[in-house]
Amino acid sequence: MMRLPTLAGEWIDRTRTVTFTFESEPVTGYEGDTISTALAAGGARVFGRSFKYHRPRGFLSFANHDVNVMTQVESVGRSIPNVRGDVEAPIAHSKVTAVNTRGGLKNDRYAFLNRLSTFLPVGFYYKAFHSKRLFPTWERLFRRITGLGTVDLEASHRSTPKRYDFCDVLVIGAGPAGLSAALAAASTGADVLLVDENRALGGSGLYARAGTESVLAKTETLVRAVLAEPRIRVLLSSFASGYYADHWVSVIAPEAMVKVRARSVVIAQGAYEQPCVFRGNDLPGVMLASAAQRLLYRFSVAPARRIAVLTANAEGYAAALDAKSRGLEVAAVLDLRATPGPDSADLMAQLSQQGIRVITDVKPIEAVAGRDGSVARLRYRVGGSEEAIAVDGVWMSVGFAPASAFLHQAGATMRYESSIEQFVPERLPAGLYACGKVAGAYDLAARIADGERAGRQAVSALGSVDALPVAPVMPVRECPNHPYPVFAHLAGKEFVDFDEDLQIKDIENACQEGFDSTELLKRYSTMGMGPSQGKHSNLNALRILAAWRGDAMGAHALTTSRPMFHPVPMAHLAGRGFMPERKTPMDADHARLGAVWMPAANWRRPEYYAVPDVSREAAITAEVHAVRNGVGLIDVGTLGKIEAHGARAGEFLDRIYTARYSNLKVGMTRYGLMLDESGVIIDDGVIARLTPECFYFTTTTGNSATLFREFGRLATWWGIPVGLVNLTGHYAAFNLAGPQSRAVLSQLTDMDLSDAAFPYLAVREGLVAGVPCRLMRVGFVGELGYEIHLPFEFGSELWRAVLQAGQGHGIRPFGVEAQRMLRLEKGHVIIGQDTDGVTNALEIDAPWAIKMDKAFFIGQRSLAVLAKQPLRQTLVGFQMPLGVTERPKECHLIIEQGRIAGRVTSVGFSPTLGRVIGLALVDPTVAHQSHLRVRREAGVEASLEVTSHPFYDPAGARQKMELAS
Amino acid sequence: MPLRLLRFGLTRQHPEPRMFTQHDELKSSYDVVIIGAGGHGLAAAYYLARDHGITNVAVLEKGYIGGGNTGRNTTIIRSNYLTPEGVQFYDESVRLWQDLSQDFDLNLFYSTRGHFTLAHTDAAMRTMRWRAEVNKHYGVQSEAVDAKSVQDAVPMMDISCGGHAPVVGALYHAPGAVARHDAVAWGYGRGADRRGIEIHQKTEVLSIETTDSGSGPAISGVMTNRGRISTKKVLCAVAGSTPRMLSMVGLTSPLYIHPLQAMVSEPVKPWLDPIIVSGSLHVYVSQTARGELVMGASLDPYELHATRSTLDFTESLSMHMLEMFPFLGDVKVVRQWAGMADMTPDFAPIMGKTPIKGFYLDSGWGTWGFKATPVCGKTMSHTVATDENHTLITGFGLDRFRRYALTGEKGAASVGH
Amino acid sequence: MKIMTCPINGPRLISEFAYAGELKEMPDPTQVSDEQWADYVFNKNGPAGIKREWWCHTASGVWFIAERDTTRDVIMRTYLYQAEVALT
Repeated sequence: MMRLPTLAGEWIDRTRTVTFTFESEPVTGYEGDTISTALAAGGARVFGRSFKYHRPRGFLSFANHDVNVMTQVESVGRSIPNVRGDVEAPIAHSKVTAVNTRGGLKNDRYAFLNRLSTFLPVGFYYKAFHSKRLFPTWERLFRRITGLGTVDLEASHRSTPKRYDFCDVLVIGAGPAGLSAALAAASTGADVLLVDENRALGGSGLYARAGTESVLAKTETLVRAVLAEPRIRVLLSSFASGYYADHWVSVIAPEAMVKVRARSVVIAQGAYEQPCVFRGNDLPGVMLASAAQRLLYRFSVAPARRIAVLTANAEGYAAALDAKSRGLEVAAVLDLRATPGPDSADLMAQLSQQGIRVITDVKPIEAVAGRDGSVARLRYRVGGSEEAIAVDGVWMSVGFAPASAFLHQAGATMRYESSIEQFVPERLPAGLYACGKVAGAYDLAARIADGERAGRQAVSALGSVDALPVAPVMPVRECPNHPYPVFAHLAGKEFVDFDEDLQIKDIENACQEGFDSTELLKRYSTMGMGPSQGKHSNLNALRILAAWRGDAMGAHALTTSRPMFHPVPMAHLAGRGFMPERKTPMDADHARLGAVWMPAANWRRPEYYAVPDVSREAAITAEVHAVRNGVGLIDVGTLGKIEAHGARAGEFLDRIYTARYSNLKVGMTRYGLMLDESGVIIDDGVIARLTPECFYFTTTTGNSATLFREFGRLATWWGIPVGLVNLTGHYAAFNLAGPQSRAVLSQLTDMDLSDAAFPYLAVREGLVAGVPCRLMRVGFVGELGYEIHLPFEFGSELWRAVLQAGQGHGIRPFGVEAQRMLRLEKGHVIIGQDTDGVTNALEIDAPWAIKMDKAFFIGQRSLAVLAKQPLRQTLVGFQMPLGVTERPKECHLIIEQGRIAGRVTSVGFSPTLGRVIGLALVDPTVAHQSHLRVRREAGVEASLEVTSHPFYDPAGARQKMELAS
Repeated sequence: MPLRLLRFGLTRQHPEPRMFTQHDELKSSYDVVIIGAGGHGLAAAYYLARDHGITNVAVLEKGYIGGGNTGRNTTIIRSNYLTPEGVQFYDESVRLWQDLSQDFDLNLFYSTRGHFTLAHTDAAMRTMRWRAEVNKHYGVQSEAVDAKSVQDAVPMMDISCGGHAPVVGALYHAPGAVARHDAVAWGYGRGADRRGIEIHQKTEVLSIETTDSGSGPAISGVMTNRGRISTKKVLCAVAGSTPRMLSMVGLTSPLYIHPLQAMVSEPVKPWLDPIIVSGSLHVYVSQTARGELVMGASLDPYELHATRSTLDFTESLSMHMLEMFPFLGDVKVVRQWAGMADMTPDFAPIMGKTPIKGFYLDSGWGTWGFKATPVCGKTMSHTVATDENHTLITGFGLDRFRRYALTGEKGAASVGH
Repeated sequence: MKIMTCPINGPRLISEFAYAGELKEMPDPTQVSDEQWADYVFNKNGPAGIKREWWCHTASGVWFIAERDTTRDVIMRTYLYQAEVALT
């Protein structure tokens, strides 16, 4: 067991245990353990296999970028891929396995890939496997080997909430600098939100202690002050995942995403410790010193018994003292530097008191694995000679990379500060501040002072649009970063990127092949493209690149930083999800009547009404017959419904639609086409004039919202004072159609429905069944009919009243399919079906609807240009011989002499005419032919007889009721 | 283990030369200057050298090779377009793609995965049928298929899409493929480089010079941040920067720039074979050979010449992804990014000669430029070499707008990528 | 998410707004050649820079003009459209 004695402040609760299995072996940890700490406490060393070579790996950072300790967690009801063992708590009784193995962690059958590594140079997959014949086979093999965890295809939809938060100052990172910044900001009265990904405040102040109480004491003082400050709200176990425009920061809490809008933001995210690059630096047991310190103090786990610290800064010396104070044996502190700095020198005295020797000017040669595959020996060179030291742990403390992702995302620029061998902020955008290690402050006192400065600035600049000057980097006594902690070995295996298994030579060879700039290097070598996104590798790779080119470090920028900071589950991003669904007030009535639904924009409409034991076709045919011979009722309430008010409303509509409305008589309606500026048809509708200064008109269902908005823009632009009211949701509408419609309607109203009083195309307002209605006598389906518009709340009631009144006349509700056939029989086009995204108004053979002699309408000038050119396509009607029922489908092609000469836009078997009829958009050069060839399913061709349309009642006598009168 | 990898294990010296020669100086003149070292520009350079023997060519790149939309797109390759011009053009491209890895001796991971464009409404299904019929007419494999076929091919998908937008069918395009996008630029770049063409990275064009040739303006040179170059021919292949280049020679165009964003997940074991696109749900997704899910949506709603990321993009895309694939809630998004798409009013490119003699355009590639890389190189190199528009691109000229002769690709509306 | 300031409703999330392209004044259709008209219909002020654009606050239906730097994604100012002022 590697569990250490109890320590005040440890994150585990020793009174409660958690049991799970790892690779089928039972594991017991404490409440508060992570998967990896529970394993480490039991003495485990190997936690996973690497991505490419399947090398055994332990943990590296313990800071949520340890890709090699990713696990698959199988629990009740779901199996979760890519769970990061270093930070995720084990689920009780779950089955945990390492993700990237074949046949288990111990006996991974892909381990042979490690021995093939010399044959798998950087970008090897670009260099082979691409014979056209064999690539598919190779690819299948790759697809079997790659990937990390396994998606549980049976997992159910998980819905996480989203929350919003607002604050004056958002402080990201609750180490000493962030705590200090939060306090400084709050002390001036600002509302502060402090976010940290860890479960406790304090950051490295809790674990980088140098074996004493003083750092901890100072940190705890800050923590207590923060907790006592009512103006600071603290969000723990939550990481900021992205920095977006105008200080909009997404924070990922365990079970929710919090979207934070801040007035200013302080970045105090510190720095990621970076590995030393030498052969065997990936062996289990070799880790970052900060990872070890986290284990010692947070989880009271000893990651080794006897360690060597490989260092180049005072932080390494401190870590050695921490190891010693927690009872580990420190075999040696191996300093890469010839002369340790002053802070190190101070700590060296303490080390020697504890009997720990310090060796300087060390060059690591390799870490050597023992029988269990984890580190057993560290070989190094000092002076002229080679030495070795037997250890079961090597802690690397050679420097840091600033956690500057959000600074980049916010548009800051960075510069290389050679005094500390680190990138620091050069220019920050307005409202953004950086403090602590990310800004180059390392000493505890300096970090606290820097935080205070940033916190104060963040408040002082609230509301300002200009950035303040960037604070100068605080002078340090000792440089925390080694300029080049990279030690090549002839046999390689010095890892730069642990996610992607990239060694020094991979970086150098990529450079040699011409990928010698940061972005190209990343893309060719996949450096930094793994799940940790280069947090532990980008900096060293950049150093190797600069050295290879002979450039100074500052000559190359880091690769572009993009969200996510840590990977974010899609469930968090998705949240609950909203899909608006609109229903007309008669929705429940339709359902009762057996409606079969179809979507119409975000509405649903009855496609037809199912009848027991009757086929779909027959049901639709019956609906068509009802309208032609008796009476039918259809819900058309999804149409856009708009009122335009004002003395110039007619002029306004004249400019929008192709027909003329300023001369429309009160009480009458007129059809209109709406075009875009290039003459393409975008919508149509019926415009009614209710009073001299009030028009009421419809748009198609899908366009209602955007067109209503566009009308507002046009009125603004043209300077025409017109009041526009969107009544789409306020009004229900249905169409009562068929020769018996008047008889039905007359039972429900006292209005004079005679042709004289209410002629074809008229609009009237009056009471129907006591409900105030607008009635339009329009003929889309080609029969006597009334489109009835009424307030939403009476929709269902009147619908039922009309059906009731129609019972004696055989009334049937009809759906969209029947309406489509009815209008097709009349040859009426459906915009968007018989036209497409490029059909202009000259192409649908409707000159009656287009008044080119008006002063202006949208698209008119373009139509004038188009009128001088030959038509590109034209709409024709067609029919098939009586008795033929095999018919083409919509969008089957018209083929003439082997070339495409158009397409069928609408087609159906007309119950009224007893034959197949349809419309086609065709090349004008074939429109005059008596017959056209259509290519149906499976290439079978059929003949269509070109015919005039409307197919049914071409004179329009029925809708005008001339036959009946 | 292919034999050709053995040499890497048998020598201490990495046995690979530079793919792209580094040129310290620009020459004072070139026969052709190509602006933009993305896939399109480099492909044109490659074919200029290979097919037309023109090698005194400089490719100028403000950033790095393949760093624009070539390296930012979601790598989908297909030819299931709507118009005869479009289908024939992209079909030629697919044919070129299939041999490219061998031509380059560089594995582009050209992977034929099959491509479903889902239809959630009758209206969308009509469009799918239209595209399928036009495709088949030109010998391109496309079929309008029903919902069951979709379910059979992607059994794990919830084809009711959470009940909001049930799939009623799809356009299935068997040749639909993906490829390793960066490698395409490298392959063309290396091929051009080996044939003597100079690629100049970090070289920004500051102005383009024209003179009056007697019959109108003609190209005479290019000023860069590294000095002036004389040339009589300039090919502009710069996607989102095209309007700026056009303004340098006094031309206007209908091009407008909107960002197109994308995101990628952590690697998971491959489970998704085909490419799935839903125009209605604004989703397209495929899984790479590394196991990552590469996901995209529709264009950003407003004009922007920047590649910033937005949170709402990831939110709505994830929401729609989970409607189709509800089991992905625990799969993590690791990175998002954006490119600048140069859009046209008719969803077709703007290619070929312009009113400026010697100034050739390869632009308007919106959200669909990657798949056209090879054929653009082919046709543009022909156009530049002969000063005559290649027959495959005659429908795509800049002057079509003046003539109201737009292509019909927009007829399919809403379906991109 | 970006914040846009509606001249009537104040600062709101940009998701509440709809973009309708650049402000282009229409030439007199009776006075221009076909070619000039096509230029108006199709061509755009494409290069990056500060643009004047139509935006609508969709919740309230307010249309206004935004001046926006498309290079930096920065909204410079917003104001109500007045034909005579907007063109100066």
